Amino acid sequence: MTHPKTPHVVDARYMEPPGPFVETMEMLDRLKMGEKMLLLLFLEPHPLYKVLRQNGHAYETELLPDGTYEILITR
Amino acid sequence: MQALLAFENAPPFTAPLRFFLTAPLFGVLAGLLVAFEGADLFASRWSPGALAATHLITVGFMLQIMLGALIQILPVVAGANLKRPLLVARLVHVGLSTGALLLAVGFLFELPAFLGGAAALLGVTVLFFLAATAAALAGVPSTSPTIRGIKLALVGLFCVVGLGIAMALALAGAWSLSLPELADLHAGWGLGGWAAVLLAALAYVVVPMFQLTPAYPARSSWWFPVAMLLMLAVWSVALLFEQSVPARLAQFGAALLGIAFAMQTMRLQAKRRRARPDATYRYWQFGLIASVLALVMLSVVAWWPEAGELPGWSLLFGILLVAGGFLPFMTGMLYKIVPFLSWMHLQNYGQARIPAPAMNKILAEPGMWRQMLAYFLALALLLAAVFFPARLACPAGLVFAVANGWLGWNLLGAIKRYRSHFADITLKLATS
Repeated sequence: MTHPKTPHVVDARYMEPPGPFVETMEMLDRLKMGEKMLLLLFLEPHPLYKVLRQNGHAYETELLPDGTYEILITR
Repeated sequence: MQALLAFENAPPFTAPLRFFLTAPLFGVLAGLLVAFEGADLFASRWSPGALAATHLITVGFMLQIMLGALIQILPVVAGANLKRPLLVARLVHVGLSTGALLLAVGFLFELPAFLGGAAALLGVTVLFFLAATAAALAGVPSTSPTIRGIKLALVGLFCVVGLGIAMALALAGAWSLSLPELADLHAGWGLGGWAAVLLAALAYVVVPMFQLTPAYPARSSWWFPVAMLLMLAVWSVALLFEQSVPARLAQFGAALLGIAFAMQTMRLQAKRRRARPDATYRYWQFGLIASVLALVMLSVVAWWPEAGELPGWSLLFGILLVAGGFLPFMTGMLYKIVPFLSWMHLQNYGQARIPAPAMNKILAEPGMWRQMLAYFLALALLLAAVFFPARLACPAGLVFAVANGWLGWNLLGAIKRYRSHFADITLKLATS
């Protein structure tokens, strides 16, 4: 799956925990420095935010009208 | 390794668990009280037995689970960490459980000193909990409908407990208040401003996550908690100025909001991606239907107040909304949360070297289904007992006690398996 914001997308909207977290961390491992990935979820992942901050990754979150959270993460 | 990183925000397992394991005991007590009191309890919503049973359920079961769930979920859904969560859990659990028992004894035996003591203890306990959660939420922006909903639900909790304390003191003889109208408002804040708003705020997260449905649309999720609290504020001000029409319109508005939330959840459930319905799904489906029926009754009373005086009306409404709606929602969630937390703690303990067992190995589906059928039978008997109290009150109470005991047994079984896996992992880690 690709997205106008980035070709690197994890669509975790119908994934049971801990799938979203594990897949996001695995994709981040594959990205080069400065590359971006997009995580799609139906909730705001606060524990993930903390890990992203600890690992020095920037992120921006947008809540779409259908209830999807788009989280754009920079490696 | 990654899975471990997400874990550090989680409070110790025993923090929420003590609430989840105590709640069914209050359900058993309420059932035994119904069985023991029999037809007398069904004479009116104001009978000592009915008041005692109602508070065993709303404080001993519902508030117990809601506070335990909040302690667990605040870091996850709001990034808000309670300071010393285990200490908060211990103090709140003891205060809440003792307060609920004192309150029930005070109502049942009409003992003003017990009511006053319960009001003081529950007031202090809830204020302490509110202070702890307010400190955790301070500076946390409302970036999601769930965070805003939790904050507003805590306002609702403050109001319901404040009104409860005022009424308990009035019953204890300290003040003179118009109790029936205040009791309705107290119930409105408790079930609408606190329980329904918190339920919705958490549903926005847990329904898509555990039932694999689409998300709740953002706009209605932002506004449902605000609109519900607005209705209760209008109702409160109208009561203060003795204006019955705006009070009834606000009740009608609150009922419509509840119905809209329930219908929206049903629509989402219809689009779920989990093919086989599990116990949680069925519990929620049942709870949604019962809630809608109860809220239709509330709407009727808002336009035709005399309906509330019809024999059995208030009891039927209360049983449908609380035992038919809220309890199934909470039990359904316990059946997901307890195995999920067990799995998460085992996964972390295994340090990603020894995988945790699947959630369905910790709490198996057949046990949950059988308990659920017992609960539905209890509910059917309770509803029928409103019309045939002499014959059905006792069996209804007994089956309700059995169903709640069964819930506790199922949860204890999950914890037993959690401990057994924990011991296995300890052994494997030591020998690997």
